Amino acid sequence: MTKIGIEVHVQLNTKSKVFCSCSTKQSDEPNSNVCEICCGFPGSKPVLNKEAFEKALKIALALGCRINKETFFSRKSYFYPDLPKNFQITQYESPIGENGKYMSIRIRRIHLEEDPGALIHKGSYCLVDYNRSGIPLVEIVTEPDFKNAKEAREFLRKLITDLSYLDVYDKKSEFGLKADLNISTTGAKVEIKNVTGLKDIEDALVYEEERQKDEIPRKNETRGWNSEKGITFLQRTKESEDDYGYITETDLPLIEIGNKLLNQIKESIPELSEEKSERFTSDYKLNEKDAKVLANNKKLAELFEKVAEKVNPDIAAKWIIRDLMNQLNYHKKSLNEIEIKAESMIDLLKLFEEKKITDNTAKQVMINMITKKNFMPKKYIEDNNLIMKSDDSQIEKWCKEAIKETKKAVEDYKNGNEKSLNFVVGKVMQLSNKTANPDAVRKILVKLIRK
Amino acid sequence: MKAVEYVEKIKSGELSAVETTKAVIKEIKKLNDYNYFNTISESLALELAERADKNPKGRLAGLPVSLKDDLCIKGVETTCSSNILKGYKPTFNASVVEKLINEGAVIIGKTNQDTFGFGSFNVNTDYKIPKNPLDTTRVTGGSSGGAAGFTALTKFPHVAIGESTGGSIAAPCSFCGVTGMTPTYGLVSRYGLIDYANSLDKIGPIAKNVEDLELVLDVIKGNDKKDSTSLNEDLKNDNKVKKIGLIKETLNVDPKIKDLVLKKLNETGIKYDIVSLPTITKSSLSSYYIIAMAEASTNLAKYCGMRYGQEEKVNLPFNEYFSNIRTKNFNKEIKRRIILGTFTRMAGYRDAFYLKAMKVRTLVIEEYKKTFKKYDLLVSPTMPIIAPKFSEVNKLKPKDHYMMDIMTVGPNLAGIPHISLNAGTYNKMPVGIMFMGDYLNEKKLFNIGNGLQDN
Ligand SMILES: [Zn+2]
Repeated sequence: MTKIGIEVHVQLNTKSKVFCSCSTKQSDEPNSNVCEICCGFPGSKPVLNKEAFEKALKIALALGCRINKETFFSRKSYFYPDLPKNFQITQYESPIGENGKYMSIRIRRIHLEEDPGALIHKGSYCLVDYNRSGIPLVEIVTEPDFKNAKEAREFLRKLITDLSYLDVYDKKSEFGLKADLNISTTGAKVEIKNVTGLKDIEDALVYEEERQKDEIPRKNETRGWNSEKGITFLQRTKESEDDYGYITETDLPLIEIGNKLLNQIKESIPELSEEKSERFTSDYKLNEKDAKVLANNKKLAELFEKVAEKVNPDIAAKWIIRDLMNQLNYHKKSLNEIEIKAESMIDLLKLFEEKKITDNTAKQVMINMITKKNFMPKKYIEDNNLIMKSDDSQIEKWCKEAIKETKKAVEDYKNGNEKSLNFVVGKVMQLSNKTANPDAVRKILVKLIRK
Repeated sequence: MKAVEYVEKIKSGELSAVETTKAVIKEIKKLNDYNYFNTISESLALELAERADKNPKGRLAGLPVSLKDDLCIKGVETTCSSNILKGYKPTFNASVVEKLINEGAVIIGKTNQDTFGFGSFNVNTDYKIPKNPLDTTRVTGGSSGGAAGFTALTKFPHVAIGESTGGSIAAPCSFCGVTGMTPTYGLVSRYGLIDYANSLDKIGPIAKNVEDLELVLDVIKGNDKKDSTSLNEDLKNDNKVKKIGLIKETLNVDPKIKDLVLKKLNETGIKYDIVSLPTITKSSLSSYYIIAMAEASTNLAKYCGMRYGQEEKVNLPFNEYFSNIRTKNFNKEIKRRIILGTFTRMAGYRDAFYLKAMKVRTLVIEEYKKTFKKYDLLVSPTMPIIAPKFSEVNKLKPKDHYMMDIMTVGPNLAGIPHISLNAGTYNKMPVGIMFMGDYLNEKKLFNIGNGLQDN
């Protein structure tokens, strides 16, 4: 039976690094956000970033962990060029949180540590960029409770959403999510190190599960993941557990987590995706599927709630989930890249709800909202005279013209082909610049043709 | 002349800091054969001296101050006496350096030491070995050997900044006949001090007299946001010493040393009891060496020829490159401590060594706490011997070297303040007496020290 456990490393979205005051902003210039501390110069000393610690604590609480009231840091020793001190400041004996549960998966431990720098390979040589060195990482270690790759991915997906609700994680950062994956099927335990991003994590697990059907691992081994080829590869077999010679990091004093801080952090935990989707079904009477889609995306959920205050929630949900998302996909844009103002959405959907614009017009406006900056739907509709026309005499004029131009379709309709009428309606919409009330058009066309 | 008197003369314009500085630097050069200085920071010193003459405001205006070579000065070579850091010029000042400069001190240079603080005799240096100021066939003691040696010989007002992990201030003071204060752990910021063992390292002054120690400690102490272990509390004001405990187990030394220590103790006129401290005297040394080496072995990992210090053209895989640089530039004692320190923290040995040593440390601290409920201060000889000859030291095994710290590791392991004072001479060589106080009781130590020194 397949058993999968994951160690997820999440970069926290703090302003400064975990043990120095360097900025965590991504920079194109290598080694520009660095100082003596994050480069490990002799004599420099770490100072714990309070924001990073509190965010780690927040995650531990949100994931149902038991909090260690006394927690401290340790040195994990190994030599590697991206590790300035050749030891990493992390937590060992006393992590911030232990024994949690999230989505029915047991969480073994959650701790705070520093990210190493990044190696940049250039042909025959290699450069080191320490901009990343010292960015706070939270490591979340699960028990081997996943039965397949899909479960693991769903867990991570949900986790990412909830981390963004907790305001501890910034989805935009490309390398924001890394994982070590432990997978055992029928043979020995295999660890796949350093897989970046949700899709690769699932792919690596699926690949490895299949591979182990053919090549049953006899010894515990560590494997790497080749993202381009989509395969894992053997790095080394493990006779024993890695020995990092942990000792206490005595430059950082013991941290006592008092009840005051604990309560303060507890209170700061917002509604997470699970609760939110339940509330969406009960408060807005959305179906479960729509509620989940909205709740699983912080930006969508926030947009929906603002819009649903002013517009019928059904209309809001439909337009946000289907039309907005479809157009985003079609234009190959993500919600993070564009700025959709709730006010604009409300303006648009209100006009639609009040039947002042047609479905077609609404869609056209939506495209503009996605593709243009500072686009104002109401003004655009007014300027382009897109308010729905329900004036019978005007519609009759367009209908008569359309009948003249679609003789074949009109004939077909007369001969009993009901669908042909749609073609004629389409012509009317074209002539009216999509502003003719479609119901009225249909009624008048039928009347005119039957005459 | 005492530092306080000298600073007054700078302020009144009676003396010139530039002239003094020039004379001190000339003297350092003249004493070159003693090997006290690794680097003379001549241009920095003259710049600071000029500043002091122009605006003699600080409490240390114009005072020549030397720094142990494990303290970072921006732009001045800082090596911890190790080849691996040859040529390394830090990009920042240690907090202590900032404080000294802010009070007008003149930083004259970096003093010799055992590499990274690893030694009690200062014979373990990649520079030339410093010689005892009273007998050049003998050691200065270590690891702050250059600091104590120069303090003893200079004819000018001067305070040295030393550093102690397991006795590195007290030991050379005892051998060179000067006085040194190792303050409470955390009283002086360690920011910019190149680590030996983070939970043990303490910066403190070495001088010819107690008032100078007091003055300089007052300048360098105080909370520092850059060092998370730096204390928020200040020194206790109570300086009255009513009762002293003489540590029984430390009297098992050369009777001449014992006699000198007892004679000096009697001069205080203060009541004392002989007290037994079994845990401290039996277990401190092993606990100390395990913790110090475990921490040191991680601190030394960063020296690998990549970002600073010695480097070579990289034409090997990184592991081999690192090994090559470390093999070539670390001396035998460094390698010994890395190997021992790494061993004590490895799986399978960690429980028996590192974690056990941490527990023993707690017991040591408890024994001191209990004892200080009864006694204001404790006292012992500083070192079990007088400064040995180089020929004698060469015969010692590593373990015999480590045994030299038997008196000093206790207070260092617990992080309690202690002062070493000259108790007299034996075979023309100085003998040190060491008083220890409870946390932040430095004022009691200064008080007793002021009463005892022969002015
Ligand atoms: Zn930094």
